[in-house]
Amino acid sequence: MAAAMLMERNLAAPVLAAPALAAAVEVDRLELPVMTTDTTDMRDLFEAQAMPFIDQLYAAAMRMTRNPSDAQDLVQETFVKAFASFKQFEQGTNLKAWLYRILTNTFINTYRKKQREPYQGTIDDLEDWQLGGAESTTATSSRSAEAEAIDHLPDSAVKDALQSIPEDFRLAVYFADVEGFSYQEIAEIMKTPIGTVMSRLHRGRRLLRELLAGYALERGLGTGQSAPIKKTSGSTGK
Amino acid sequence: MTDCGCEKAKAELEEYLHNELRKEDALDIREHLEHCPDCRSEHHVGRTLTDVMQRACKETAPEDLRDQVLQRLRAIQSAH
Repeated sequence: MAAAMLMERNLAAPVLAAPALAAAVEVDRLELPVMTTDTTDMRDLFEAQAMPFIDQLYAAAMRMTRNPSDAQDLVQETFVKAFASFKQFEQGTNLKAWLYRILTNTFINTYRKKQREPYQGTIDDLEDWQLGGAESTTATSSRSAEAEAIDHLPDSAVKDALQSIPEDFRLAVYFADVEGFSYQEIAEIMKTPIGTVMSRLHRGRRLLRELLAGYALERGLGTGQSAPIKKTSGSTGK
Repeated sequence: MTDCGCEKAKAELEEYLHNELRKEDALDIREHLEHCPDCRSEHHVGRTLTDVMQRACKETAPEDLRDQVLQRLRAIQSAH
């Protein structure tokens, strides 16, 4: 068994990296435990390169699954899958985009099904009027008030708004605005044409803007018009 | 003066914001923004939207998660 493996490795030698192979053969010959030098190196390399992305991947997973426990499971699955196929990752290419592709695939294939979210696959086909909202026709002065009001919203309101827009829009917006991926990278991560990415971004951002302007108005932060702060006595509302 | 006009600017603001325009187009938009308060305020709303999202979506992975991931990687490896 060990001899056969050794033969195989020797036959394959010309196409493999020589030092790593030599080390692996050395270990086989000594019949040490399964942990060969090259796989340990591979794990070290993977840990060094991929682990720094764990906060970002967790943040994205939170926006995808909407809860910490599923987000943690999703991130774990992503790292396990990424490690399993790390040999196929081409060093020098974009590791972050590669990890996000695995994260997004895993989410779509497992968690989205689990969450039984209504299928939104046809959202791209909806006409603009079906999504509501209109292009901004507001005046310059009220637009700066709008920007200021949005800027003062608490993080929770921003997350709520993101959470409430259709998933495909949410992911596109998240990838572009939070992660700074290029349209081309987003197209690859979401396996969709660039035109679709642009349309999702445009519509997603527009929905978000309306939602946030609405929140600001409710909270009396004002978006040009002054809105009275609602006070309901005895209410313990959020 | 090569002002591209409001129509082109408004149509391309989002791509401008995401750094997706070619250099010449981006310069056109930038120049237009300098002279047009209306488009500038529209761009400002767009920029703010991006900023608040970046701010709101920051998370730190729980320490537990980090440990669990490392443990699983090691477990996979020793199973090989």
